[in-house]
Amino acid sequence: MSKAANNLFRRVLTLGSALIGAIAVLGGLIGYLVAGTDGLTSALIGAALTLVFVSLTAMSVWFGSKLPLGGFFGLVLGGWLIKIIGFVLVIGALKGADFINGPVLFFTLVAAILGTLAVDSVAALKARIPVIGD
Amino acid sequence: MDVTNIAALSGNLAVVGYGLAAVGPGIGVGLVVSKTIESIARQPELAAKLQVTMWLGIAFTEALALIGLATPFIFA
Repeated sequence: MSKAANNLFRRVLTLGSALIGAIAVLGGLIGYLVAGTDGLTSALIGAALTLVFVSLTAMSVWFGSKLPLGGFFGLVLGGWLIKIIGFVLVIGALKGADFINGPVLFFTLVAAILGTLAVDSVAALKARIPVIGD
Repeated sequence: MDVTNIAALSGNLAVVGYGLAAVGPGIGVGLVVSKTIESIARQPELAAKLQVTMWLGIAFTEALALIGLATPFIFA
């Protein structure tokens, strides 16, 4: 993959992490005001889940692109499958926990996902990926 | 007039929601990837560009899956 694409994924991961960090702080504050310590914990868990699962997609494409084409699709799709199964298991484990405030976790997760999508879109639109590699 | 049940549904309805949250994005990612493979087969020199575009498509589709799978936190 070209240097431009490497820079793109590095920028996406850095900016995405910074944005999710900001959402975690804001969500944690709102969660604490709404539901006390449970709200704070839920917001932090929601932001952390988004950070892990969204970053894994970008990293699978980034590292997969260094492999031959079959390896690329295997890594991206296999990673996606394992990630979704992992997410279902984590959600199933957290659902019954008494330290979780469901709405705070859900809305933090949605805000973080939408925020990272915006960052991804802007970064991808601004990136200039050359047709010919380095 | 008596009401007669011709079919009964038992169990946890949320499981149907989990299934739908997996089916939709699964179809979406399948389409994104299949079109990317087609495009790379036609124009291999554009592979790097197409991979980045595909990542954006997967990110959007995946957002639906993550939000759909997290809905038990508000609908339970």
